[in-house]
Amino acid sequence: MNGHPQFEEDFDLYALGALEGEERTAMDSHLKGCPDCAARLEEARGRLALLALSAPTSAPSPAAKQRLLRSLKAPGRRLENPQGFESPRRMGIWRWLTPVSAFAAIVLAALSVWLGVQNGRLSQAVRDVRSQQQRLKAQVRQTQAENARARLVLDVLTSPSTVKVDLVAAEAHPVPQGKAFYNPDKGLLFYAANLPSVPAHWTYQLWLVPAKGNPVSAGIFKPDRGGNGSVLLPPLPTGLTAKAFAVTIEPAGGMQQPTGKKVLIGVVSGQPG
Amino acid sequence: MSSDMTLIRGVMAGDETALASLYDRYSGVVYSVAKRILDDQGAAEEVLQDIFYQLWRTASNFDESRGGLAGWLLVSARNRAIDRLRRRKPSEGIDDDKPVAVKSSLESEIAQGELMGKVKGALQGLPETQRATLELAYFEGLTHTEIAQRTGEPLGTVKTRLRSALQTLRQALNP
Repeated sequence: MNGHPQFEEDFDLYALGALEGEERTAMDSHLKGCPDCAARLEEARGRLALLALSAPTSAPSPAAKQRLLRSLKAPGRRLENPQGFESPRRMGIWRWLTPVSAFAAIVLAALSVWLGVQNGRLSQAVRDVRSQQQRLKAQVRQTQAENARARLVLDVLTSPSTVKVDLVAAEAHPVPQGKAFYNPDKGLLFYAANLPSVPAHWTYQLWLVPAKGNPVSAGIFKPDRGGNGSVLLPPLPTGLTAKAFAVTIEPAGGMQQPTGKKVLIGVVSGQPG
Repeated sequence: MSSDMTLIRGVMAGDETALASLYDRYSGVVYSVAKRILDDQGAAEEVLQDIFYQLWRTASNFDESRGGLAGWLLVSARNRAIDRLRRRKPSEGIDDDKPVAVKSSLESEIAQGELMGKVKGALQGLPETQRATLELAYFEGLTHTEIAQRTGEPLGTVKTRLRSALQTLRQALNP
């Protein structure tokens, strides 16, 4: 991969684990050297984590919590059998103990308790040291980041190649724009920029206006915070000759035919190429 | 109601009641995703216990600046359940169990319910074929090729469906 991934979905696909082979290795190597793309991947991971919430809601048995809390008191021990079944080998063991082995067992039990207490104290001490180490690392990272930023500010202000531009208030707002790439046999790609956000319960809808007949919906979309939106390869009848493309504002979910205000319109003017 | 970070500090100090509070807050969502993936109550409870036991042991390593607890729990639940489903070693998992920045709050039951409704609504809005493809990728950890083999669909169709589903989902979940 020479440049940055083109679409946000590339990061989603990588975070999902759906990419493989060359696609995955190219992304791996690009991410190692590109902090911007690594940050975009983090956003994708956060977004996809929410998909877990689509699982049907169910609750663990109350015994699961009791097993967890019991396991905390035995540092280093594996979790108990979650089914809660008693091991057959343990059943009735006291019946077979001789007095001597019973005494040895009591001594061992006392020793285990003492070791457990010592272990617990040491674990607490280790946790305290780690916590302190974590705080110090965070302070060092913050100081380094502040120094680096101060150097950058100074560089920009003092560099001979820096240009100074005075800005004044501008009344004009960025003009909404759209680009459609349409091939009757292969599909439609549409990108929009500078679109204002739409209120809740409303959406933008893209229309293909055919040479004959009524407009055909080519999908709904909402722009991101930067005003950018896109519709890629929407399901459309193949071989449809387009006369124009338009974007309207419609109720959430879209309409069968355009009813709202036209935001963008573009007429197909020339031959392909 | 104590914040996640206050409770994590309690866990770091060895306070079992703090861990129990975090368990009460998140065991439902962690267990639900593990159960959805593994379809087995016992196995899902093992994943749930492993995750909270790890939190108990390694809470001091938790770095709030890299993301919240909810994101870590959700990603860990998915990764561990899929590792188990596919009988992989944890190191071969799809991603590290590192903190994940989930922008929305999940600290209260109301917030969890609202977000669940939003995510489920977004998935239900997808065409059936797109939703099924996304669920194979998310809940079974399948790659493009594996989904194509499982469904018998051409690889190109699978890629297009997954890409379209993710695009729609991103637009629906963006604040």
